Amino acid sequence: MNAIIQEPWAMGLGRLRPDVIRTKEDLGGVRHVAGIAEKMASNQKQIAISEFFEKNKHFLGFDSLPRSIITAVKESVDNSLDACEEARILPDIKVQITKADLKKDILELTTEDNGPGIPQKSIEKVFGQLLFGSRFHAIRQSRGQQGIGITGVVMYSQLTTGKPTHVLSKIASEPTAVSVKIGLDTRKNKAVKSEQTRIIWENDDLTMKEHGVRVTTKMKGKYQRGRQSVFQYLRMTSIVNPHAEITFVDPDGEIYHWPRVTEKLPRKVDAIKPHPHGIELGQLQRMCRETSDSRLSVFLRQNFSGVSMRAAKELCEAAELDVSTKPKSMKPDDIRAMLEAFQGERDVGGKVVKLLSPPTNCLSPIEEMLIKKGLSKTIDSKFISTMTRAPTVSHGNPFQVEVGLIFGDGMAADKPVEVLRFANRVPLMYQQGGCLLTKSIESVDWRQYGLDQAGGRGVPKGPAAILVHLASTNVQFTSEAKEALSDNEVVFEETRKAMLEMGRGLRKHLEKKKKMAKTREKFELINDILPAIAEKSAAILERPVPDLAGSITKIMSAVICNETTTWNKETKQTDVSITLFNYTSRARSYSILVNWPERSDGEMVGNERGGRKEAMGIWGWKVETLEPGEKAHIQYSLSNLEKGDWTETDVFFRGSQDVIGASKLDEKMLEEIRRQEQILVEADKEMPADKEEAQPTFDTGVVEGDTGQTTLFGGDV
Amino acid sequence: MMARVNDPELTKQRLHLVVEEMYDRIVKGEPPTMTLPVRTKNNIGFDKKLGVYKYGKKRSTRDATSLGSAKNLLRALHVVEFIEEMIEAGKSSTLREMYYISEAWGLGKFGSQNESNNLAEDLEVVTSCLREDFKLRPEEDGARMIGNVTLMELNRKGQWMTINARDDVGDSGYGLPYNVEIEKIQLKEHDVKFLMAIETGGMFDRLVENGFDEEYNCGLIHLKGQPARSTRRIMKRMNEEWDVPVVVFLDGDPWSFRIFASIAYGAIKTAHISEYLATPSASYLGITSDDILAYDLPSDELSKKDIEALNAELTDPRFADGWWQDQINMMLEIGQKAEQQSLAKYGLDFVTDTYLPEKLEEMGLA
Ligand SMILES: Nc1ncnc2c1ncn2[C@@H]1O[C@H](COP(=O)(O)OP(=O)(O)O)[C@@H](O)[C@H]1O
Ligand SMILES: [Mg+2]
Repeated sequence: MNAIIQEPWAMGLGRLRPDVIRTKEDLGGVRHVAGIAEKMASNQKQIAISEFFEKNKHFLGFDSLPRSIITAVKESVDNSLDACEEARILPDIKVQITKADLKKDILELTTEDNGPGIPQKSIEKVFGQLLFGSRFHAIRQSRGQQGIGITGVVMYSQLTTGKPTHVLSKIASEPTAVSVKIGLDTRKNKAVKSEQTRIIWENDDLTMKEHGVRVTTKMKGKYQRGRQSVFQYLRMTSIVNPHAEITFVDPDGEIYHWPRVTEKLPRKVDAIKPHPHGIELGQLQRMCRETSDSRLSVFLRQNFSGVSMRAAKELCEAAELDVSTKPKSMKPDDIRAMLEAFQGERDVGGKVVKLLSPPTNCLSPIEEMLIKKGLSKTIDSKFISTMTRAPTVSHGNPFQVEVGLIFGDGMAADKPVEVLRFANRVPLMYQQGGCLLTKSIESVDWRQYGLDQAGGRGVPKGPAAILVHLASTNVQFTSEAKEALSDNEVVFEETRKAMLEMGRGLRKHLEKKKKMAKTREKFELINDILPAIAEKSAAILERPVPDLAGSITKIMSAVICNETTTWNKETKQTDVSITLFNYTSRARSYSILVNWPERSDGEMVGNERGGRKEAMGIWGWKVETLEPGEKAHIQYSLSNLEKGDWTETDVFFRGSQDVIGASKLDEKMLEEIRRQEQILVEADKEMPADKEEAQPTFDTGVVEGDTGQTTLFGGDV
Repeated sequence: MMARVNDPELTKQRLHLVVEEMYDRIVKGEPPTMTLPVRTKNNIGFDKKLGVYKYGKKRSTRDATSLGSAKNLLRALHVVEFIEEMIEAGKSSTLREMYYISEAWGLGKFGSQNESNNLAEDLEVVTSCLREDFKLRPEEDGARMIGNVTLMELNRKGQWMTINARDDVGDSGYGLPYNVEIEKIQLKEHDVKFLMAIETGGMFDRLVENGFDEEYNCGLIHLKGQPARSTRRIMKRMNEEWDVPVVVFLDGDPWSFRIFASIAYGAIKTAHISEYLATPSASYLGITSDDILAYDLPSDELSKKDIEALNAELTDPRFADGWWQDQINMMLEIGQKAEQQSLAKYGLDFVTDTYLPEKLEEMGLA
C-alpha cells in the first residue's frame, strides 16, 4: 500500500516507526504528541497517561474546563459525521449534556448517531487505543485530526472522574447491539473493557435501532455559552453540514434543533498521491526507503500525482540519476537532488520539468447552494451571497476556498459581523484575530459593498455574517491547537478574491433592493393611486372618469421589468416570471438575460419563449418590437431544486433604453463566465487520467499492519 | 381690514379649482398636478400695501410622478370632499379628528398628524381661504388675556355673551376661543392705552399679581410660546379696530426674535394669510441684546443651535432692517442670551417698578 499521510506532522507516522519520528523535521507539536502516544501504544517507553495529558493538554484540547467539553463533543460528533459520510448515510446526531455533579464541575455527555456502527471487536481499539484512526493515511480532504481522537476523550474522562465510558454500538448485519464500558488501566496504560453484553437497542418510539453508535461519558468540564461553546460548535457544524440533522439538549434541558436541509451527501472524496511540489525531504526519504519499486522512473510515476512517464524520465535526467536506479539504494545526496528537480531548482536543457497539477477531485467543497441552505437555517435573514472558487494548487496541495455572506434584519446592525471560519468543514472557534481567513476579510474595503468599516480596514460592521471555508489536502495551522490558519499568499489571494466577488453580490443585492422598491412604488402609483385620483376628482366635479393611458405613459416614461421567483408547492418547482412593460412613447427591442442554477443541476422547464444559452447558467431571449403600452412575458420553471435553493433571479438586458428592474448586461462579465466555464471543461477532460491513478478512498483509508484491521464498516473483518 | 371670504359657496368654488387642475391634466394625458407657492423664507417678500410679508411669485408644482406626491394629491381630494361635507352639515372638526377620520380613506389616508396639518395649510395657500372657512380647528388652545377690554362671544347656545376681561374673569384671565373671527367674537369697548404680549406664563402671572394692567392701563396677553393663530388674529383685530398699539415682551434669545417676527410681519408657514394675522405696527420691547448688557442680566451661553438660528435670521428678509441686524449681531458678539425672568435678579417688583416703565417711556407709552 502506498498511501501517504496528508498532514505534515503526521507524515512520520505512516508505518508508526519510532525511528522515523525522531528525525529532525518531525519535532513539531502534535507530531511530537503522536510520537509519544505511539510509543505508549507500542510499549517502548512507559509514561503515565496523566503525565502525558498534563504535558500536552493545550493541543489535545483539554487545557481548560470549558474547552474540554467542547473537545469531547467535537471528537465524537466529527467521528459520527465522518462515519456517516463514508457509509453514505444521512447523519442524524443527538448530543446531550447534563450536570452530573453540580459542585464538582462534572458533566455527563451523550452523543448518538445513526452511522454504520462499530463492529464489536473494533470497539475496544477505537475507544481504547491511541491513534487508531483511519484518516492519517490518505492525502485527501478530511475533517482532520484536531486532538488525538475519541480515545483521548475516554482517557480524559477516566483521569478526571475515574469512570469508564459507555459505548453502545449496532451494525446493520447483527440483530442486537453491543453494550460495553471502556476504561483505561492507568497503571498499565491499557484499555480495559467491562460489563460487555448484547442488548436490544430501541429508539424512543420503541422501533429497533438499525445501526449507530452511542457514547456516554462523565468528565470534568464547564458548560458555557457564547462564541466559544458547545452550542456555537454545533451551530457552525450544522451550517457546513447541511445534510445533517443535529439535536442538542443543554444542561438546562433547553432543546436546540438544526434540521437537515438537503438530502445531498457531501461528494465522496478520493485520496490522491503527493505532488512533487508539496513534498519535504523527510517524506521523500521515507518513501524511497519503503517502496518496493525497483526502478526510479516507475517509483516516481506510481507514487506521485502529476508525474507522467515523460516527466518521470525528465526528473531523473534533471537530478542526474539513472531511470533504473533502485529507490531503496538512493543516497541522501541523490534524494536531495531529486527534491531539487521536483522544485524546479534543477532543469533539463534550461527547461524546468513540466508537471501536471494535482487532481482536485480530492476536495469536497460544500458548494454554494448548500452554503446558502446551511446559513439560512441557522440565521434568519433574507439575502445570501456565496462564492465557491475553482480549485487551485499551492505548493502541490490542492485547495479550494468558498465564502458566504448572509445579510439582513435578523442581525445587529451596529456590531462587527459574525465571522464563521471553517477548515475542511471543521469549525474554527478560537484565535480569530490571528487567522489567515480573518485577515483576508479584513483586507477588503467593505464600505464599497454597503457595510460599515472604520477606515476601510478590519472586520466590517453590519447586520451580516461572513462564512469562509478552506477545503484542502493540507491545511496549515499557526500552532498545534489548530484553531487559526497560518499565512499563505496563494490562499490569502484566493480568499480575498472570493470576498470581493461576494461583496459585489451584496452591493448588487442592495442596489437591486432599492430599484425594486422604486419599481414597486411606480406600479402602486399607476395601478392604485392614479385611478383613485381620477375617480375622486371626477366624483367631486361630477364629471366622467377620464382615461388614464396618457398619464401613465408620462408618469412611467420608462421600460419596466418585473421579476418574481417563487416556489410552487404543488409542482415542487421554482416558477420564474418576468414581465417587460413598455411605458414609453416609442417601440423598443431588447435581449433579456437571466441567471439560473445550471451548475447546481437545476433544469429549465416550460420555457415556451425558447431563447438560447448564452453561457453556463445564463439564458437569453430576444424581445423584438415592444410597442408603447405593450408588455412581454417570459415564463419558465426550474426543476430538480429544493425549496429555498433559488429565491432570486437576476435579470439583465441588452438594449439602448434603460430598463427599470433589470441591470444592463456587462459583456465583460459574460466573457468571464464563459472563460471560467472553459477552464472547468478542460479540467473535466484531464480528470479521467488522474482517476486511474488515484486510489479509491476505502483502500487507502484503513490502517494496516499494527491492527490487522481492514475495514471498520460492514461487520466482516 | 381685508375682506375675508367666509362664504361657503366661494370656499367650495376655490377648492374645486384645485380638483379641476388635477382632472384636466389627466384628460390631457398628463400626470395630475397641484400648483402652490414655495413655502420657504426665500419666497417671502414684503407687501408694501399690506405692510406684511407674503409669499412671492415662486410656485412649485406637485405632480403625480412619484408615489409620495401622488398620494398627497389623492389626500387633497379626500380633504376637499370632507370639507364640502362639513360645510353642508354645518359641522367642524379638529385637524386631529380629520387625521383619524382619514383612516377610512384607504389609499388616501394620512401617514401622520403632521401630514394632515400641512395639507390643510397647502389648501389654505392655494385657495386663499382660511382654515376657519374649511371648518378645521387647530388642537392648540388660545391665549389668556387680562385687562379692561370688553368683548362679545357667541356661545354654544347661539347667544352673545358680554365679557369684560378684567372684571368678569379670575386670575387666569379670559381664554380666547380658536375662532376669533367676527361671526364668533365682537370687540365692544375698551379702556387701555396699549396691549402687551408676554411670552412666558410666569411673567404674565407676575404682572397680573403686581397689578400692572391696572396701574399702566393696558391689556396683557399670554402668548404661550409661539402664539396660536387665534392669538395673533385677536391682537391684529384689536390693533386695527381700536387702534391700540401692541408691544411685545419676550425672552432675549433667537427664538423670541422669531416669535416677534411672526406677530409683526407674519410667519413663514402662514405667509399666505399674513394680512389676517400680522400686526405690522407691533414693537419689540425686550429682552433686547442691549438689555442683557445694560441691566447686567444673568445670562446663558448661546448654544450651537442658537448661533445657527441667529445666522439664519441675518439673511431672513423680516429682519432686514438696521435695528434688528444690530441686535442679532450684538447677541452673536456677546454670545449670551437671557430669559425674561432673569430680571428677578433685582427683586420681584423690579420688572414692574423699573424695567417696564423705563422701556415703555422710551417707546412713548408711559
Ligand atoms: N461513531 C462512529 N461510528 C463509526 N465508526 C467510528 C465512530 N467513531 C469512531 N469510529 C471509527 O474509529 C476510528 C477512530 O476514531 P478516532 O480515534 O476518533 O480517530 P479518527 O477520527 O481520526 O479516525 C475512526 O476512524 C472510525 O473508523
Ligand atoms: Mg476522530
